[in-house]
Amino acid sequence: MTPGLEHYLVVSLLLFALGLLGVIIRRNLLVIYMSLEMMLNAANLALVAFSRFNNNLNGQVMVFFIITVAAAEVAVGLALIVALYRQRQSAHVEDLATMKL
Amino acid sequence: MEYYLPWFILLLPLASAVAITLTSLRKGVVAARLSIGACVLAFVLSAVLFGRDASGVTQFNWISLSDGATSFIADIALRLDPLSRLMLLVVTGVASAIHVYSFGYMRHDPGMGRYFAGLSLFMFSMLGIVLADNLLMLFIFWELVGVSSYLLIGFWYEKEAAADAAKKAFLTNRVGDFGFLLGIILVWALLGTLDIGALKTKLLTDPDALGALATAAGLLLFCGAVGKSAQFPLHVWLPDAMEGPTPVSALIHAATMVAAGVYLLCRLFFLLDVPGSHALVVIAWTGGLTALLAALMAVQQDDIKRILAYSTLSQLGYMVMAVGLSGSADNPSPAMYHLTTHAFFKALLFLGAGSVIHALHHEQNIWRMGGLVRRLPLTFWTFLVGTLALCGVPPLSGFFSKDGILALAQHGNLALFALAVLVAGLTAFYMFRLVFVAFIGPAKSQAPDHAHESPPVMTAPLVVLAVPSVLAGFWGINEYFGQQYGARPVEHGFLATLIEPFTHAPGAALSGLIATTAGVALAFALYRNAVTDPLPSRLGLVARWLRDRFYFDELYAGLIRWTQDALAAVADFVDRWVVAGLVVKGVQGSVELTGRLLRLVQTGNLQTYSFLFAAGVALLLYFALAR
Amino acid sequence: MASLSFIIFCPLLAALLIAAIPRNFKVLFRLIALGATFLPALAAVRLFLGMEPASGRLQYEEFVPWVYSLGISYHVGVDGLNIGLILMGAIVGFAAACISREITDREKEFYLLLLLMTGGILGAFASYDLFFFYFFHELALVPTFIMIGVWGRGDRKNYATFKITLYLSLGALLSLIGLLALYLQAGGQTFNIVELTRRLSANPLSPGAQQAIFPLLMFGFGILVSLWPFHTWAPLGYAAAPTATAMMHAGVIKKFGLYGLLRVAVPLLPAGAESWLPVLALLCLGNLVYCGLVAMRQRDFNLLLGNSSVAHMGFVFLGIASLSLVGVTGAVLVMVAHGFLAALSFALSGYLHQRLGTLEMVQMGGLLKRLPFIGTVLAMALLAGCGLPGFANFPGEALVLFGAVKAGQWWVILAAWSGLVIGGVYMLRAIRQILHGHLPERWAGVPDAPHAWHKLPYALLLAGLVVFGCFPGLLTKRIQPNASRIVQAVNGPMLAGFPGEPEAAGYWLARGRKVTGHE
Repeated sequence: MTPGLEHYLVVSLLLFALGLLGVIIRRNLLVIYMSLEMMLNAANLALVAFSRFNNNLNGQVMVFFIITVAAAEVAVGLALIVALYRQRQSAHVEDLATMKL
Repeated sequence: MEYYLPWFILLLPLASAVAITLTSLRKGVVAARLSIGACVLAFVLSAVLFGRDASGVTQFNWISLSDGATSFIADIALRLDPLSRLMLLVVTGVASAIHVYSFGYMRHDPGMGRYFAGLSLFMFSMLGIVLADNLLMLFIFWELVGVSSYLLIGFWYEKEAAADAAKKAFLTNRVGDFGFLLGIILVWALLGTLDIGALKTKLLTDPDALGALATAAGLLLFCGAVGKSAQFPLHVWLPDAMEGPTPVSALIHAATMVAAGVYLLCRLFFLLDVPGSHALVVIAWTGGLTALLAALMAVQQDDIKRILAYSTLSQLGYMVMAVGLSGSADNPSPAMYHLTTHAFFKALLFLGAGSVIHALHHEQNIWRMGGLVRRLPLTFWTFLVGTLALCGVPPLSGFFSKDGILALAQHGNLALFALAVLVAGLTAFYMFRLVFVAFIGPAKSQAPDHAHESPPVMTAPLVVLAVPSVLAGFWGINEYFGQQYGARPVEHGFLATLIEPFTHAPGAALSGLIATTAGVALAFALYRNAVTDPLPSRLGLVARWLRDRFYFDELYAGLIRWTQDALAAVADFVDRWVVAGLVVKGVQGSVELTGRLLRLVQTGNLQTYSFLFAAGVALLLYFALAR
Repeated sequence: MASLSFIIFCPLLAALLIAAIPRNFKVLFRLIALGATFLPALAAVRLFLGMEPASGRLQYEEFVPWVYSLGISYHVGVDGLNIGLILMGAIVGFAAACISREITDREKEFYLLLLLMTGGILGAFASYDLFFFYFFHELALVPTFIMIGVWGRGDRKNYATFKITLYLSLGALLSLIGLLALYLQAGGQTFNIVELTRRLSANPLSPGAQQAIFPLLMFGFGILVSLWPFHTWAPLGYAAAPTATAMMHAGVIKKFGLYGLLRVAVPLLPAGAESWLPVLALLCLGNLVYCGLVAMRQRDFNLLLGNSSVAHMGFVFLGIASLSLVGVTGAVLVMVAHGFLAALSFALSGYLHQRLGTLEMVQMGGLLKRLPFIGTVLAMALLAGCGLPGFANFPGEALVLFGAVKAGQWWVILAAWSGLVIGGVYMLRAIRQILHGHLPERWAGVPDAPHAWHKLPYALLLAGLVVFGCFPGLLTKRIQPNASRIVQAVNGPMLAGFPGEPEAAGYWLARGRKVTGHE
């Protein structure tokens, strides 16, 4: 049996759902961040799969674009998290609620 | 020259009032000189005008608006005719005497400057009423008279009673003025002009111009007189007004201002006496009722000034009744005649009372006086002259003027005639009660023993006023006023004048005399040697009713409390709790509540948001794809 | 020097100057403010005396085109309708600056805002361009909120600030919508009032549009003037406001709404006016009788004054609603008179508050003995407030009553009752409680206004009341031609508008006229 489009999509969906679950329930900023990355990669996987099965390279171009942006985002985001950690000695979201009313 | 003279007369007191206010409120003597000077000068100028028989109108444009349909022209216009000429003379004459008297009476009061400023302001306003030839101008000075009276009643403003009396007087007058203003507006709306001369011409050419509203217009105008002349049912303010200094009571609340209502009725007689109007009937009965009620109340008062105040009320009722009785055939000159003589002798009586009060160091209760005839001889004799004139004893002035009214009543309305005769008897009774108790009878306290006759500056005006009180009957005042209404002047000799009442209407003259004699006799019997009032024990409840003035004050206080004050309380409640509370707070509250509810969603927790976001997306996808 | 632009911009530029000076120069701020309000007051007097009284023409015009595409121009001038208001506003502005000696903290900001207010409101009265008309008013209105919030008094200061801000912003917003709708309906080519009047009288809007826009303006302007039942901000706001603010707002800025009704709403939307003014006539009874009754119950002197000020506005509404020459003239007269009166009364209550620390009337009494000058002026102001002849309110109120009867409005009876009796009751009660009676021990040392310089503002405002009270002809002859045009715009037969082309602006304004007009 050769893997079809639906298999790739199911994997992508699982990855996305796991990522979302991580974003919603995990409390550590770094883990949330990694979950976020996982969701992005799930989208990438879906795009590549569509690209492959539809014989259209636009999807893969999009993936390169996303990877680039994600790299930049990771650089900024991690820097922020590190700065925050230095400031507060914690990377837990419950401790970061000063703007809440 | 004659063009400017009335303006001078009008503006002199104003100039004095302004000058005193700006420069010499603290320098009482200077203020007194200014004020007395202005008043006496005005008197002299009035005499000049009177001597020249000057008449005519001069005006100064105050407001004038007109477009095609309506015109509203209110001038400050001064009219000179027999009515205003003589009235000018009376007002300035009596006022001059009282001004001079005040200088003695108020000598030691620190507020003398303020007092004379108020007096001058009053003179200005009163002369404005006398000279006015425009309804709105009349109203303006009407109000100004009210406010100067307010200021003078409340002259001793630190006394609670005086401050309350001033307020009461002003507000009661305001109720009357309310009707007066509506009357003026109504007349203007119907006839299109405010000028008294023009109104008269209009009504002469078209007597039915007022149409069905003639009675209403007449009664509304009469409201002004009801307030100012203290007629029933707005009579309650005048007795309280006696809280003011006594010369003020003499000038404003006896001789001039309160008579302005009668003057108004005579001035606007042509508006009242139109075919189809029943206003005069109401006026006559209002006057008669006031005369009777006030005379009854006077019988049981103990304060010397209050007795005189009720007597004033009663005499004003007489005059108003006279106006009401002079229907289309007659003219209201008897009312003006009585107004004039009354101004003389009532001013005299009040000044006499002032002299007594001054001598007794502000004792006003007649049951603490007595035996003053020896202590204050000049005051007593002049007071007696005033009393006799008031009671209508021939040949004093009051006899002739009162007889004119009695004759009018005899022709017009027998019920009112009987009432008038009764009032004449009551007048004699309560006045001689006062004379016997305060002057002739035995002393009832220590106070009279130390009394001394007042200084000449106070007794001279008494003598001056006593002269016209005696002689005014022979001066042809009635005939002079008659000219105003087109009556032909008749020349009488001295003797002819003396017996004229008995030839003209013997019934009226005789019944008046009999009633007076009866009143004096009764007072003599009851009070010649009385130390306490015998009436309460004999009359019981009735005497209490009379003493408590038929409970009108209590009745009105209740009425006001249950109507206007209650409405105000309701309005305040609504404003505080319904408009500002329920509605505004309701709107504000519901907005705020929504905000608070929505804020609960705004937890600030990123993960909640992302969960909600994801759930929302899932929901959208479900709706978009699965259906 | 006596030009309108000078009157408007002298205070505004002085405000800029104050902004530029460091805050240590405290004396300087006060001096600048006094100078920059005194000169316009002087200029306004010259303008008043110098104008040609009975023509009804636009005079002292100045015209500067600004935004061509929208039709906005700076266009100021005077006619009978606004000259009295400008004179009154300038004098009250000066008096308010004099009285502000009680302010001791943040003088810089206070005087700056006061000058903005003065210049702004004078600009609003003088403008013949809807854009500037509105803009200048907002310029004057917004400082009110800030001043109450920062320098206000009493524990309900914040609540009062909220309330007055919300109410007045709502009113301004409604009238803005109305004005914009009017602008768009009229073709969207010009904001100029003269030109709009000309176009709309030649070619009126459809009755439906008029009836839709008029209530927006009526209620918008009405809220700004405390029309019943949108009045509850007024007494509360004035009670909390610092003296100068209360004087300026109650005396001058509040008149903007009334002026807007007369200048814009009625002449431009005659059909709307005809169907909506009867509603106004009914609502004004709420002002006259209801607020009068509420005033009777007040224990705080400022709340009493605030309620009585709301009640007086009823006379103006009644005059406008009567749509008769006499009534409208009276309404304008009351506007001017009430400006002086409200400013004077609030100045006096400010004095009392400063010296006594309270305005509870039951705690006062017998103060006339200690305060011969202030007390006398206060008594005169209160008597003027209950319509005593000799003060400017009387001729105005009388004209309104006469005009209303002519228009067949029977409820004038209630209005007269309110003016004569209810007004008398609460004003005399105030005199009785504050000035008459026994002087309590604690006030035995209260000082009177010490010398002429302190007495000046009171004397000036009182003089305004007395001069126009004794010679109302000074104002009425100026008002009459314009009032007559407003009335005739609604009742016919003449068209509304201004006699003659506005000289400076003819060519500029004429553009686009063909699109809407049929000339």
